[in-house]
Amino acid sequence: MPQLRESGNDGASQGPQEDLEQDGFARIFGIETEYGVSVTGADKPCDAATVAMAMFRPVVTRSRSTNTYLPNGARLYLDVGSHPEYATAEARDPHTALAQDLAGEQVMRQLALDAQQRLRPAYGEGATVHLFKNNVDSAGHSFGCHENYLVRRFVSLRDVERELLPFLITRQVFSGAGRLSGRGLVISQRADYLDESISSATTRARPMVNTRDEPHADPERYRRLHVIIGDSNRSQYAGLMKLATTHLVLCVIEQAARLGVESGFECCALQDPSSANRAISRDVRCGGTPLKLADPGGFTRARAEYGATGPAAAGGSSTDGGSATVDALGMQRYYAAVVARFLERYGAQVHEAMPRLDIDMVMHEWARLLDCLAAGDFAALDNQVDWIAKQTLFEALRRRHPAAAEARFAQLDLDYHDVANGTVYDSLVRHGAMRTIISADEAREAMTRPPQDTRAALRGAFVAKALQRDVRFSCDWTRLTLGSSGQDAERAEAVMLDPFETQASEDYRRLMQQLEA
Amino acid sequence: MPQQFQRNQSQQSDAAQSDEAQDAPMAQQSSKQADQSDALDSILDDIESTLESNAEEYVGSFVQKGGQ
Repeated sequence: MPQLRESGNDGASQGPQEDLEQDGFARIFGIETEYGVSVTGADKPCDAATVAMAMFRPVVTRSRSTNTYLPNGARLYLDVGSHPEYATAEARDPHTALAQDLAGEQVMRQLALDAQQRLRPAYGEGATVHLFKNNVDSAGHSFGCHENYLVRRFVSLRDVERELLPFLITRQVFSGAGRLSGRGLVISQRADYLDESISSATTRARPMVNTRDEPHADPERYRRLHVIIGDSNRSQYAGLMKLATTHLVLCVIEQAARLGVESGFECCALQDPSSANRAISRDVRCGGTPLKLADPGGFTRARAEYGATGPAAAGGSSTDGGSATVDALGMQRYYAAVVARFLERYGAQVHEAMPRLDIDMVMHEWARLLDCLAAGDFAALDNQVDWIAKQTLFEALRRRHPAAAEARFAQLDLDYHDVANGTVYDSLVRHGAMRTIISADEAREAMTRPPQDTRAALRGAFVAKALQRDVRFSCDWTRLTLGSSGQDAERAEAVMLDPFETQASEDYRRLMQQLEA
Repeated sequence: MPQQFQRNQSQQSDAAQSDEAQDAPMAQQSSKQADQSDALDSILDDIESTLESNAEEYVGSFVQKGGQ
């Protein structure tokens, strides 16, 4: 099973020395969210392609394309399979990335509600558009929520695969969005499908991590780690913890590569990542499903060294006749222990590189999540963890309506993710049964305001001005273009290779002057 | 993000450990359960209209790609 794909140099041969000057632990975050669509209450069938095209009609009118960029620096486009997709602008911290992703929900919601109005004359006044921020449709088609992390070039793909994947697979205990499957609730939306696609010889393998060689930055200095394994979160808390803990683990891996020493995660490699992913997803009691490690002895020694053993009664690990076993919680505890040790030495630098991230709080919350899960105290987490919120809701529904059909539960499972006309999630928030981190005002502001500390600020200002002037423009992540074709005398371009750069270049200034003229 | 992560849980356990609150864990536990149960009742009330719609149609209509 290919966990990683890359067309270029795998970086293992590159020395770290030339990058010592790079900002130590600064990072760029981005979230790509694919949405699903459906219509109910229509007089005649209305398929996903029809809904998606109705949503994008205003975009096509404005941009003559289903692929555009927004004044907040984000990319909005229609992906294959009629999935509306929103990719956040570059953010320098998890909180900003989360706000940008929530702004995307609002942008999509507006497009969906407008499409609903446009569809009603043809499909009936009852036609209701559903826009699902989830990862699986009713027929088992899976689609993604991809996280992007800029990592230094000197980290080799082999290190990322071996050292990060066990973390990504086990973090679902707090970041899983939950899904009602044929066998009941499972923790992860994606786990069963990643596995299924891998096991089928005729389907292209769907890797869990992808470091395609498109860093959208200086390829001599950076890679873009493209994480495919994650779920779309409604819980803002889960979304934030997912990004924050992954960042801290990456800091450890990067620093080890920089110094040419071991990170401490070498021993975590799993024998069979996809079956481990699936097994954890199916263990909704977090009941200690043991993980098969590639090097159990190495893990036992390392865990003792980091003092991450913990009593078996507290969950997460046990020792049986000298050969240790570890489950998802134990693996997470080990990652947290290694990160904690790393922060004792580098905490100040990690903080300096990302002042908005409250590292102490993240570490505290990480430990608390694992403690609650180990103690079976799910009630403490049902306002923070998506899959547990669903579990609590389903149990309440079953109490009130003991005869409720299975389809009713499946409907609520989907409704939870419907950002256009869903009722469940908003009701949970309204009644204090789901915590929020980003205020409605902050999300609204992020619809038009790009992150101010990345090149997204430049892109956003350019797009806003071009739209205001009704001038044709095009963008990609590293390039802004005015005019339409190579022959166009008015054509002008600015390249922005450095995602951390917020200062306008000569080219950029010329571009903006042209828009002012 | 200092203000965003409220330490509700740790505050609860701090209170539970204080001397004058020997009974607090049980009391807090049941009061939290009561609050949660009230909230869940309100949520189920909120979504009652959703519960009256056609669940089969709702679920069956969400097929992103046809013909596979």
